[in-house]
Amino acid sequence: MVGFSEWLESIKKMASSAFSRPAAYGPDVNIIELTKKTEKLTTKADLRRIEEVGIDLRKAERAAFFFQLDDAILKALSRLPGVEMRPLHEFMVDDFEEAQKYVWRAVNPGTDKYTAIAALRGTGGYFIRIKPRAKVEDPIQTCFYMAGKMLQAPHNVIVLEEGAEATIITGCTIMPEVAGLHAGVTEIYVKRGARLNYVMIHAWNRVAHVRPRSAIKLYEDAEVVSYYMNLSAVKTLQMYPKYHVLGNGGKVYSASIVLGRTDSTLDIGAEVILEDDGAAEIISRFIVRDKARAWARARIIGTSGRGHIECKGLILGDQAELYSIPELGGLGAGAMLTHEASIGKVAEEEILYLMSKGFTREEAEEIIVRGFMSVEIKGVTPKIKTYITNILKLMSKRTLSG
Amino acid sequence: MLRVDELAVKVGKKLVVKNASFSVEEGEVVYLLGPNASGKTTLIRAIMGFPNYYITRGRVLYQGRDITGATMELRVRLGLGMTYQIPPKIDGVKVGELIKEILKRRNALNEYEEIVSTLNIEYLASRDLNKGFSGGEMKRVEVALLAAQAPKLALIDEPDSGVDVESIMYIAEGLKRLLNEGLSKSMIIVTHTAFITKYLRPSKVCIMKEGVVRKCGEAGLIEEIMREGFKPW
Repeated sequence: MVGFSEWLESIKKMASSAFSRPAAYGPDVNIIELTKKTEKLTTKADLRRIEEVGIDLRKAERAAFFFQLDDAILKALSRLPGVEMRPLHEFMVDDFEEAQKYVWRAVNPGTDKYTAIAALRGTGGYFIRIKPRAKVEDPIQTCFYMAGKMLQAPHNVIVLEEGAEATIITGCTIMPEVAGLHAGVTEIYVKRGARLNYVMIHAWNRVAHVRPRSAIKLYEDAEVVSYYMNLSAVKTLQMYPKYHVLGNGGKVYSASIVLGRTDSTLDIGAEVILEDDGAAEIISRFIVRDKARAWARARIIGTSGRGHIECKGLILGDQAELYSIPELGGLGAGAMLTHEASIGKVAEEEILYLMSKGFTREEAEEIIVRGFMSVEIKGVTPKIKTYITNILKLMSKRTLSG
Repeated sequence: MLRVDELAVKVGKKLVVKNASFSVEEGEVVYLLGPNASGKTTLIRAIMGFPNYYITRGRVLYQGRDITGATMELRVRLGLGMTYQIPPKIDGVKVGELIKEILKRRNALNEYEEIVSTLNIEYLASRDLNKGFSGGEMKRVEVALLAAQAPKLALIDEPDSGVDVESIMYIAEGLKRLLNEGLSKSMIIVTHTAFITKYLRPSKVCIMKEGVVRKCGEAGLIEEIMREGFKPW
């Protein structure tokens, strides 16, 4: 058994080896240059921006709450005995032996320069554990807000013990014109028979760079339903969360709804590795306009089980670009994997059809875009369904606004 | 209510409607009959104001106003509405939600239940518009959307082609409801089979062939067509 400081040293060593390693996908960012700049530090959070990502600081209808402003953890509270919520560093110090089972176990700190900077210079992040068989109805809300620091690299660990169920909503946002790097690391462990609904909403600004790094491990009969929505312009954003279905009967449903505006470069996807007889479904809806460029990735690799990818893209504007890259890999004869992908524009015929029913051209376009964005919202409470639907409505309005 | 004078309509470079003249009075149900490809759909699309349907001659008067050059948006505002022969499939747009959106525009959400039950489409409410629908389901939904819109003058394109008898009855009921409740004042119904005339009697019948409205007459003209087809015209 290694000691605490030896363990941290080994992590730092792995991370150091990757400090100049670009990510496998997406544009490279000079993180040294970017993070050494200083901005005027604002310590006040803009409530409107926080609400935009679905976090209402005034409402108490949540099982637990975490709020991080730049480096500082301002809240880490749980209302329920079945939900353990605390800063990750506290968990690492207090439960050092257990922490070694989860921290930097699903994500390798030596993956690329973004995991490296998170391991070497990151601060904050939470540890959430849902106790065995706890059924948590109200959502757990977490929010990361960048107000003035150039780097925010929290590390989060979520553990759902056997038979537990919970919904976690994460909102990430930034003050306008803060040209920072967000490189959060999230490791999720969903144990036997547990079920996690995970909703992530991003609203960045046109100069921010974003590189979240996430890995999710699912054990026997575990299930994860994930919704990712990107509302705003961003300079560059690259993420490719990896789901590892280790146990028989594990299920993943991942839906990403992404809006690319201005000159954003987005490279977003999800990867599922099916080790056993599990099921995976990766759905994406990308809309690009202005001079945005986006890569919609999806990959399912399986030794057995069933997998399906559905990538749909809509291009609004002649200068926008969208690439759809679905990948399937069958390792042996046991996997049944399929995909469908399409890229197109809003059909004039559909607009005219709706106009003949009494809508204006703008209203018709909004209805079509909203329809395009709509994905199956399953397995969540009516309250969460309404919440996701409202975010999608906001997105469709933004898609067409100037 | 509507007068069409010597209309000629081009679609692309092709002159599809060569000469169409007829009128619709308030309270009338006018059937526009003709064989396939006689220009009936082009004519009502031109009346509706679809772009790319170029009126090269003649004029369209609606309630005394010349709307020949008006946009479709203006025509809709003035009270025109239509159903499609083959409506598009639209991903993610739910039938029930679309009906409600249209009803909200005239503060008539309370009519929703009656409309979906008259057209027997309750079970389609949460489905994507026209995706995987049968011919009858598509037409019933079209009439439900029309009922929600309640245009003063409804232009209805082939409500009875490729449709089972039961669906035709629901469609006729939906149209009758619009007329009986005074929501629509008049209708132009395009058909080449005339099946629907059994359930919704015409006030007037116009025969269109090879891009020309050849004759308009009373309801009895239907029986003549049933006996002799379109050959005499």
